[in-house]
Amino acid sequence: MSAPEYIAPETLADALSIKCKHGAQARVVAGGTDLILRMKDRVFTPTVLLDLQEVSLNSISRRAQEQCIGSYVTLSQILASRDISTFFPALAEACRPFAGPPIRNRGTVGGNIVNASPAADLVPPLMAYDARIVLASSSGERVLALEEFFTGPGRTVMEPDEILTEVRLPLMSSDSAAAFIKLGQRRSMAISIVNVGTRLSRAEDRTVSAARIVLGAVAPIPLRAVSAESVLIGQKLSAELINQAAQRASEEISPITDVRASADYRKRMTIVLVRRALMATWDELRGNLKMGTNE
Amino acid sequence: MNNSKIQMTVNGSARHVESDASRTLLSVLREDLGLTGAKDGCSQGDCGACVVLLDGRVVNSCMVLAPQVQGREVLTVEGLAGKDGLHPLQRAFGETWAFQCGFCTPGMLMSCHALLLSNEDPSREEIITAISGNFCRCTGYQAVVKAVQQAAAVIRDLSVEGMSS
Repeated sequence: MSAPEYIAPETLADALSIKCKHGAQARVVAGGTDLILRMKDRVFTPTVLLDLQEVSLNSISRRAQEQCIGSYVTLSQILASRDISTFFPALAEACRPFAGPPIRNRGTVGGNIVNASPAADLVPPLMAYDARIVLASSSGERVLALEEFFTGPGRTVMEPDEILTEVRLPLMSSDSAAAFIKLGQRRSMAISIVNVGTRLSRAEDRTVSAARIVLGAVAPIPLRAVSAESVLIGQKLSAELINQAAQRASEEISPITDVRASADYRKRMTIVLVRRALMATWDELRGNLKMGTNE
Repeated sequence: MNNSKIQMTVNGSARHVESDASRTLLSVLREDLGLTGAKDGCSQGDCGACVVLLDGRVVNSCMVLAPQVQGREVLTVEGLAGKDGLHPLQRAFGETWAFQCGFCTPGMLMSCHALLLSNEDPSREEIITAISGNFCRCTGYQAVVKAVQQAAAVIRDLSVEGMSS
């Protein structure tokens, strides 16, 4: 078993041509917090490790009506970003209890996505914010909705010659709010038993114009509970309506029993967490609107 | 062999090592450089016994590939004490009985050191957050919190003295 060749190219073009040449045999390494474990376990045995730390994929910036997050941005960077905490607080909320400081200093947004864990904590809030992702290859780049990326645990639509370079979030209007809630065995260093990201947007007549309920660790992929969302659309929010949506969400999921929790527990907790997340989103929305009218 | 020549600064001194990319910073520190302060606990980024500072920020050295450290600066627990003796944090850990078996202590010290570099008067909550990636299985965490608060006060006094002299 020979050790992989380590390459840290200085340009994205170089990185993409190496990825083109080696395909799946070349693994992109960023924080390594997941990849190194899988290499130790021989789940992954890449011949090339491609480190893009010299390529500028590590900034958070605003372009037109989008917040752009480079795939090498760490969880600590997200937490330190005023733009993210102001405009995408549910994403910051997902980073706060994520593992501990040493992991947050290394783990990246791109890694959390590409890894395609059904329990990935950043994916529900990103999907709730309608994130799009940029996949680059030597023949160009494509942009797709994050929702279309996952096909199963650890499986995605990414081609062997592609590299995830950026996440793009459309700026939300002030009549939108979002929340993230995670259930783990403890506050730090815990993989989610269930996690949920929610977003609600309201029309002028105060009815719900858009709803996102995204659940993690309860299906083979991070799941949008579309049927539960439809309960809310066009309606005025109430505690009763939120209860209905939470119940519906628990009927859409297909959780498994594993070391962290039973399928039944996940189903029951999904009702609780969706309800809490939607209530928090609703509270936030009312707060936002209040601030809006005071201005 | 796919060995990389790696140049890094460790505890203020330039070091040159050769390593392949299957090895971690922790292995290089312990096996190549003889710095056995950072411990190999869980080998999977959970326990924090291997925590060191990389360019001033805490990392699990078992989760950093050796070649990724090229050109960067590492501080281990061996670099914490100055020429005048133990670092105030190390003294405070001793004085408040913040360790028993000591296995988690090097990583714990580095997490607390990183905290004090950016926050000279951390709250209890901030200290708990800072050590949330460091597991202690025998002493508990209360004495560590106390040690950090005590050390922070000592360091603040030192910097006041430093300014007045």
